[in-house]
Amino acid sequence: MNATIAAQMTAADFLKLRKKRGSVIWALVLALAPLLIYFIVSAAQHSSNPAQHAPAGGINGFTDGIRIIALFFGPLAAILIGAEGGAGDAASGVFRDLVVTGRSRLALFATRVPAALALVWIVTAFAYALLVLGTFAFADGTPTPSASTILNGLGFSLLSTGVVAAVAVGLAALTTSRPAALTVLIGWQLVASPVLASINSLGSSRKLILSEAIVHFSPVHVNDRGGTVAMSQGLAVLVIAVWLLVFLALGAWRTRTMDA
Amino acid sequence: MSDLPTGGLAIETHGLTKRFGERAAIDGVDLRVPLGSAFGFLGPNGAGKTTMIRTLLGLTRASAGTMSILGHPVPAERATALERVGAIVEEPRFHTHLSGRENLRIVAAVRGPEVRERIGPALARVGLSERAEDKVKGYSLGMRQRLGVARCLLADPRLLILDEPTNGLDPGGIQEFRHMIREMVEQEGRTVFISSHLLDEVERICDAAAIVDRGRIVTQGAISELAAGAGAGAGAELLLGVEDTELALATLSASHLVREVHPAEDGLRVVLAGAPDTAAALNAVLVGAGVGVMRLEPVRHSLEQRFLEITSRLDEPAARAEAQA
Repeated sequence: MNATIAAQMTAADFLKLRKKRGSVIWALVLALAPLLIYFIVSAAQHSSNPAQHAPAGGINGFTDGIRIIALFFGPLAAILIGAEGGAGDAASGVFRDLVVTGRSRLALFATRVPAALALVWIVTAFAYALLVLGTFAFADGTPTPSASTILNGLGFSLLSTGVVAAVAVGLAALTTSRPAALTVLIGWQLVASPVLASINSLGSSRKLILSEAIVHFSPVHVNDRGGTVAMSQGLAVLVIAVWLLVFLALGAWRTRTMDA
Repeated sequence: MSDLPTGGLAIETHGLTKRFGERAAIDGVDLRVPLGSAFGFLGPNGAGKTTMIRTLLGLTRASAGTMSILGHPVPAERATALERVGAIVEEPRFHTHLSGRENLRIVAAVRGPEVRERIGPALARVGLSERAEDKVKGYSLGMRQRLGVARCLLADPRLLILDEPTNGLDPGGIQEFRHMIREMVEQEGRTVFISSHLLDEVERICDAAAIVDRGRIVTQGAISELAAGAGAGAGAELLLGVEDTELALATLSASHLVREVHPAEDGLRVVLAGAPDTAAALNAVLVGAGVGVMRLEPVRHSLEQRFLEITSRLDEPAARAEAQA
């Protein structure tokens, strides 16, 4: 497969995803609505009682927004899109029609990942733009993040949502079921990960939790649960790489070997 | 289509077997599909037709045997073999949230950069140009079948493999489809492999066929040869129109030339004891007995009759052994 065909196939996979209106709208709602609600509520509280409530924007608002985008609702949007990208062909029954073209199954799997990443990152970029806008609009004279912090925050948000999206593509391709992949990943992201990370008795094994490794790259202090798992940058990179490799390899294996 | 090899085989299998656990869905199939023909793969539901197609196309792995498509061994040269193959397996499936044209764009992207320019002509050929921008969720089953054929045409196929292709088509659509298949074979030199349980369909469209039952090829050959084999085991049959039915019945019952004779709706139905050329002698017998013969015609056997004979006799141990031999 040459670069032209790879680009065409990725564009085709992107077309399938972006035209899936329901998934795209829900992903946008998940990425934007909580942030919007956060700014509106915080701004209202601040205006009603400035002494008690900090401004919605500024460094505090930016830090809370990063938490919303990169660690909570952004990954949910990424799961939604990644699961669609990983299982869409199998669910619609089109996979076999792609296989009979003679194109390698690995190629069919591989181009789903950049397509899902592209859409997830567009959604994340919209949310991040809203975050930056709110950070400055509602700063009310308090310090605002520097340009480098803003750029690092963007990189961190793209890393977080991108990794989760790629894992979702792999898991959905493995299960060939979008609902199954959604259930497992949302359960892991929203329930299992935070609970496991907060259990101190699990010790260093908590370093294997994906979200804990991702948090390591945040430009601002976002993990205020008190159960932060300390790890070196090298280990954080390794944990993220292992998660990606395992799920992408499983997805590729299933795509290559399953009856179409 | 000038690069088509002539006189070769589009599909060739030897001992092809696909097992699901203990059960063999296809069992030691030796199939030969000539290039440039419309070939019917005929069998009752559950005979293994779709499994055969899925195995040929690499959608599922063969348990044993060898196969080649357009001269390329599969799976060793699967990608090359399938470059010029279009296929519909079971009912055609699509991304229903996309338009017909967008669905074709997706397959064109997978096939290669030069394929995109074939989208418009393919849609036009199946009569879907005006609905090409509509979402597939609004298409009827017949329209989806036609879009499936358009998707096949993107490959500029030397070989089309179509699984029950007339499902969902209305009578007009079926007629158009037949015409299109014959045009592809006769004018464009393509090979069309059609799996079907509709005998009439295969008899009308195809030049040759294989009859499959319980995972085995029972017989294969030209349609005319297959149909001619019908009734062969029971002897040649004649339909007689006579002036005096009672006298003719008595005369024929006593004749050594006749194995069986029965009154039929418009005369008598006679099963000859010997070869078909004894019909002349039989006529002489009747005339000699004073029976005026108004009509004497051989019974034409259909592929359907042959099919039913074969598939119904397979329950008998002797016939099963004969088929396996």
